[in-house]
Amino acid sequence: MSAALVVGLLVAGGVFLLLRRGLLRIVLGFVLLGHAVNVLLVSAGGMQRRGAPLLGETEADVAADPLPQAFVLTAVVITFGITVYMLALARAGDPGATTGHPPARSDASSPADGSDRDDADREDADTEDATADRGRRTDAAEGGAS
Amino acid sequence: MLLVLALLGMLALAVAAPPLARRLGRNTGYPLAAGYLAVAALLASAAPRVWAGETETASWEWLPSLGVSLSLRLDGVAGVFCLIVLGVGALVMAYCPGYLGEDEPHGTVYLLLTLFATSMLGLVLAADVVLLYVFWELTTVCSFFLISTAGAAAARPARQALLVTAAGGLALLAAVVLLTVAAGTTDLATILADPDRVLDSGLAWPIGGLLVLAACTKSAQLPFHFWLPGAMVAMTPVSAYLHSATMVKAGIYLLLRFSPLFAEEPAWSTALISIGLLTAVTGAFLALRENDLKGILAYSTVSQLGLLVAVIGVGTPEALAAAVLHTFAHALFKATLFMLAGIVDEETGTRDIRELSGMWRAMPVTAATTVLAALSLAGVLPMLGFVSKEYLFIGLLEAEGAPWAGPVALALGVTASVLTFGYAARIVHGGFGGSEQHSDVSEPPAAFLLPGAVAAGLGLVLGPAVSVLSPMIVSAASDVAPAGDPPEVYFWHGLSPELAMSALTIVLGLVLFGCRAPVDRALQRLRLPDAGRLFDRAHDGVIALGHVVGGPERTSSPAAHLSRPLVAVVALGGVGTLVVGGLPARADTDRPLDWVVAGLLAVVVPAAVLTGSTLAAVGLVGITGLLVAAWFLLAGAPDVALTLMLVEVMTAVVAVLVLRGVPSRFVRSPRRAAVPAAALAVGAGVAAALATLAFTGRRELSAVGEHFLDSAEEQTGGTNVVNTILVDYRGLDTLGEAVVLGTTALGTALVLGRSERRRTVTPGARGDAVLEVSARVLVPGMFLLSAFLLWRGHDEPGGGFIAALVAGAAVALNQLTHGSGTSLGRLTRPDRLAGAGLVLVVAVGALPTVQGQAFLTPVELPLLHALGIGSTLLFDLGVYLLVLGLLAAAVTRLEQPDRTAADEPPGPPVTGPLVTSGVPEQAP
Repeated sequence: MSAALVVGLLVAGGVFLLLRRGLLRIVLGFVLLGHAVNVLLVSAGGMQRRGAPLLGETEADVAADPLPQAFVLTAVVITFGITVYMLALARAGDPGATTGHPPARSDASSPADGSDRDDADREDADTEDATADRGRRTDAAEGGAS
Repeated sequence: MLLVLALLGMLALAVAAPPLARRLGRNTGYPLAAGYLAVAALLASAAPRVWAGETETASWEWLPSLGVSLSLRLDGVAGVFCLIVLGVGALVMAYCPGYLGEDEPHGTVYLLLTLFATSMLGLVLAADVVLLYVFWELTTVCSFFLISTAGAAAARPARQALLVTAAGGLALLAAVVLLTVAAGTTDLATILADPDRVLDSGLAWPIGGLLVLAACTKSAQLPFHFWLPGAMVAMTPVSAYLHSATMVKAGIYLLLRFSPLFAEEPAWSTALISIGLLTAVTGAFLALRENDLKGILAYSTVSQLGLLVAVIGVGTPEALAAAVLHTFAHALFKATLFMLAGIVDEETGTRDIRELSGMWRAMPVTAATTVLAALSLAGVLPMLGFVSKEYLFIGLLEAEGAPWAGPVALALGVTASVLTFGYAARIVHGGFGGSEQHSDVSEPPAAFLLPGAVAAGLGLVLGPAVSVLSPMIVSAASDVAPAGDPPEVYFWHGLSPELAMSALTIVLGLVLFGCRAPVDRALQRLRLPDAGRLFDRAHDGVIALGHVVGGPERTSSPAAHLSRPLVAVVALGGVGTLVVGGLPARADTDRPLDWVVAGLLAVVVPAAVLTGSTLAAVGLVGITGLLVAAWFLLAGAPDVALTLMLVEVMTAVVAVLVLRGVPSRFVRSPRRAAVPAAALAVGAGVAAALATLAFTGRRELSAVGEHFLDSAEEQTGGTNVVNTILVDYRGLDTLGEAVVLGTTALGTALVLGRSERRRTVTPGARGDAVLEVSARVLVPGMFLLSAFLLWRGHDEPGGGFIAALVAGAAVALNQLTHGSGTSLGRLTRPDRLAGAGLVLVVAVGALPTVQGQAFLTPVELPLLHALGIGSTLLFDLGVYLLVLGLLAAAVTRLEQPDRTAADEPPGPPVTGPLVTSGVPEQAP
């Protein structure tokens, strides 16, 4: 019962964050969903035996199922990797996009009414800027190396 | 062998066309015409045998598992169509040099025309229904490209033609599949030899219907006739060849070919006769009100094809013989008329009969040739068209089903023929009649006129000498007639009913021509539904519908993309939980502390979700993670709990680094906007909770878990079963996971390394004496701890992940206090760490394969074994390096203070802690 409550809470929180504005909220929602699935996996392995699966320290007849734990351990680390990558993506983009704010740049001529169409425009503009920056950066790096 | 040579010969001509065109330009048509004739002669060498009732075959295995073979077969009916394809093809090729301009894409046009001829030849020679379908579609594709060569104006008609004929192609495909299912083979001859097998299978109706649909689209029958007049935007050789003589006859060929199966079925006959006659009369009527020469000819083709469809529907040997003969005659006179229309167009610059007048003075030979072809079209003695029309009347009169069927069919046939006479006269009179003088128009060069003149002359000669064609027609008709022998073909039938009908046609036609002025006026006033426009409207409607359907996807808002799969998950979860049954009883396994964790989560998760502060959100999600870690500890998973705790710490570090320079609060949105998200969130939460209830706590320890617990120590020497699973039992999974981590490490380094966004520079804790001093002590200690955790992981909680997270914390601390310019910073470059880790895990995995053992088998290493270091530890070390690489990528690249790269002078790199720490690539 408690596991179901925990999973339900985490899924509800994760889904709610995923659907809000701002990349950071999406990343955090993703983290919560990851927790939910991990709890579900471990509880699916059985919650009646709760000894740590460490031979010699735990009696073999109370040790928990080690396989879901191995799965979850892997899942935790992969979730972490992806979370870091998503945070890096959030950082690489417009600072405002991280929190869902409209673009706060002086050259943004489009009215920031927060509609989806504007989001698309802004992202396009971001891509172009990033491309231009990349070119400049490469030039600078080459100049510095030589 | 003969057939293969013929097809390969055509293909060779197609391949040779572009290089030839580069040297010869538009004159490439002449060698190609010679090539067509050579292939025709090759096939003609088999004619005596075919007329004697034998067949010429060739076959290879193509898809043996499906029983589909590349098989070709030349029989009587295929022979007639081969003659049309190659004969008219040669004439059109010889016509092209005169028609094409100097600067047109000759290579492309000739290539496509010859490819089309090859496909058409393959279509009529195919002895396998799958092969037949393939060639059928190839002709459609060639037609599309040939229409498209006319430029931008051709886009709409080319699309219409493609969509209509390709839809018919799909119908043919469905028919082929059903035929194969019904008959159990794809071999055409076998299918046709045993009609009862198909007719009794219950699939006869759909097969017949789909075949008729395919034929009606390809042969431009009502209501699909509109694409053919539209296709007239193509250059005239294409109209003459594809859209009058050959490609549109593919539907006729299909109907003829399947006559042995269906000709005695009343439904088939009724459908074909009604569609055909309706099309014949409508087409002729529409031709009468056209003013464009090519437009008249296009509707005329529609009408004549209608007569052919109707007479095939009658299905008696006489009717089928009439169909074959008229197919041949029509190819001759219609190709001629198109070629002559092209000549008029080239010489005068217009094809509109209202603008043309008195051309017979300027171009008497062209005019005479046109008269010959038009007489054949109108069915006037002694042209071949007269003979074939006589036979059409004979055939139509044989229509069965009801006593009135024959006379009615004949009456409609005569009506269509009267209208035909009318528009044939219109072509001649409109194009050449009148009294105007033209000094600027002259006869075309002889070479330009010759192909049309040859075809028109053949129409004249073959009329009285039609008996020459008799063996060909008889063998073709007997190939497709289900029963009975087709008659020999004669020119003169004596004073027969059909002669009376011909006479009546001519008389009524002359009357129609005589009162052409009032008829014209009446016809021009008529407003008729335009099928082409209806089609376009439907087409645009479909596109608009697609726009509406795809509309929600055209947004960059993640919520819009995520909400639909989430709704599906909620629905699936809800339905699944309700319908799943037969579950074992649920044991209550809760302990009091579980409820404490759950209760704390019930407070923390809503707070984390609802807070408007970014920092608070990160912190509260981190606390959520720690509570989940506590839950894992209670569940008996210390490794997971330890890892998760460290992961939460590192996630918080990375998230806080990301937050620098970012607004400190999330954007505020109205409460109303959050309601759907909240509803979906609650739905998803309930579905997930129900699923958890349904699928957990209902069974004992799994068998595989028990196996691991029993044999882990004995088999691997490790006592931490979870770790042995990761590195010993499921090493390949871990290898995959390590690759994912390495990828994210490199991805993170690349994404952040390229990011040049200006932010406010926050020096962080640098300069903080307490932190600096503590870091000096803590960093080496943390690395020691990390090494210890790595080493003991096989037996105790620890291992590569946990150890690397501890080391990552040390790197982060060092980075925050000293920047990456330190020796530790250089040592922990993410790309090197990830690369080394990846090489290590793969190398350790590959090591046993040298000794012939499976990938990733644990082995003892010569020297290291003495130190208690096994290959599994090295494997874990690889994982350690990869995870550390990811952390280093995140921490060092995120921590770097933002430089103002664009403002940097291009000279020597600016030194100092701010810059050097930020640009590890440029560190000396």
